[in-house]
Amino acid sequence: MSDLQLEIKQMIIETLDLEDIEPAEIIDDEPLFVEGLGLDSIDALEIGLALQKRYGIKLKADSEDTREHFSSVNALAILIESQRAS
Amino acid sequence: MIVVGVERLIRFKLQSWNAFAPGLENHQAWREWLLHPSELSPELGKTSLKQIPPMLRRRFTELGRCAAGAALPLLEDVDAIPGVFASRHGDTPLTLSLLEGIAEGEPMSPTGFSLAVHNALSGLLSIARKDVSEVTAIAATENLIPNALIEAVTQLQDQPRVLCVIYDLPLPELYKAYSDSTPFPCAVAMILSREEGDGFILQSDNGQGSDPTQSDDFMTLLRLLNGLESSVVFGSSLTRSRWRISPE
Repeated sequence: MSDLQLEIKQMIIETLDLEDIEPAEIIDDEPLFVEGLGLDSIDALEIGLALQKRYGIKLKADSEDTREHFSSVNALAILIESQRAS
Repeated sequence: MIVVGVERLIRFKLQSWNAFAPGLENHQAWREWLLHPSELSPELGKTSLKQIPPMLRRRFTELGRCAAGAALPLLEDVDAIPGVFASRHGDTPLTLSLLEGIAEGEPMSPTGFSLAVHNALSGLLSIARKDVSEVTAIAATENLIPNALIEAVTQLQDQPRVLCVIYDLPLPELYKAYSDSTPFPCAVAMILSREEGDGFILQSDNGQGSDPTQSDDFMTLLRLLNGLESSVVFGSSLTRSRWRISPE
């Protein structure tokens, strides 16, 4: 688990009140929504807001890309890295 | 229907009830406390709410945990039941935190916003219980308890049983100068039935004398439910209406 992956997991736990979950329990390449961690649509909005606050990333709620970015911790890490590079 | 000039009286049956406050979670604890009252914490503290899956449980605020703590034990063997959810002030601590965020120019939490509506709690319980029965969320500045009961009893025309949950928290310090509120978190859940349970009569009351204090209403209701009063009165100084509830 890289530093960025850990940072993302901590952000998810903190933002979504997942106090009972340890970062290690969130698997890097498993789905975050419905299956896997089991987050829902309100959580997606909350993560979108956290990405905007922390990394200055703005996403369109209805785009297919956003769906892809939110698919796992790894996908979020790629999104954040590409934002940093640009 | 209530018609002026006609006696305002309705009957209902109370199948079961449960109440929740800091340290008071069953009939026996309530009865002992009502006989020997002591000061209760203004905060709810930890609750277990094991009936709710953890991913959903995190959405319950203090007010929600209090109301669910009263209602869920009544619903263990109940598949589907319509509900009347009544709170005078609603989730004021949550609303205040959202307003403070706006004042500081922060973007609003979608979760916080979605939970700040008056029917949020009934929605969460509906999801948790997979019960798609209709729910009604009401608020009243005064006479909340008789109004919630009137709503629930009225729904008994269409339904054999109706859940009625009445719940409130102490107001945040900032608002206390403007209104009274319950001194401790409190929720009362009742299942009203057409057929089963103890009979009660709810009727308008023309008695004189000073109006009961709204902030004592929970205790008044609980004294009745615990059989410590033969009848209780709720009153509104705004509408000058009074309601009496007594066992049949």
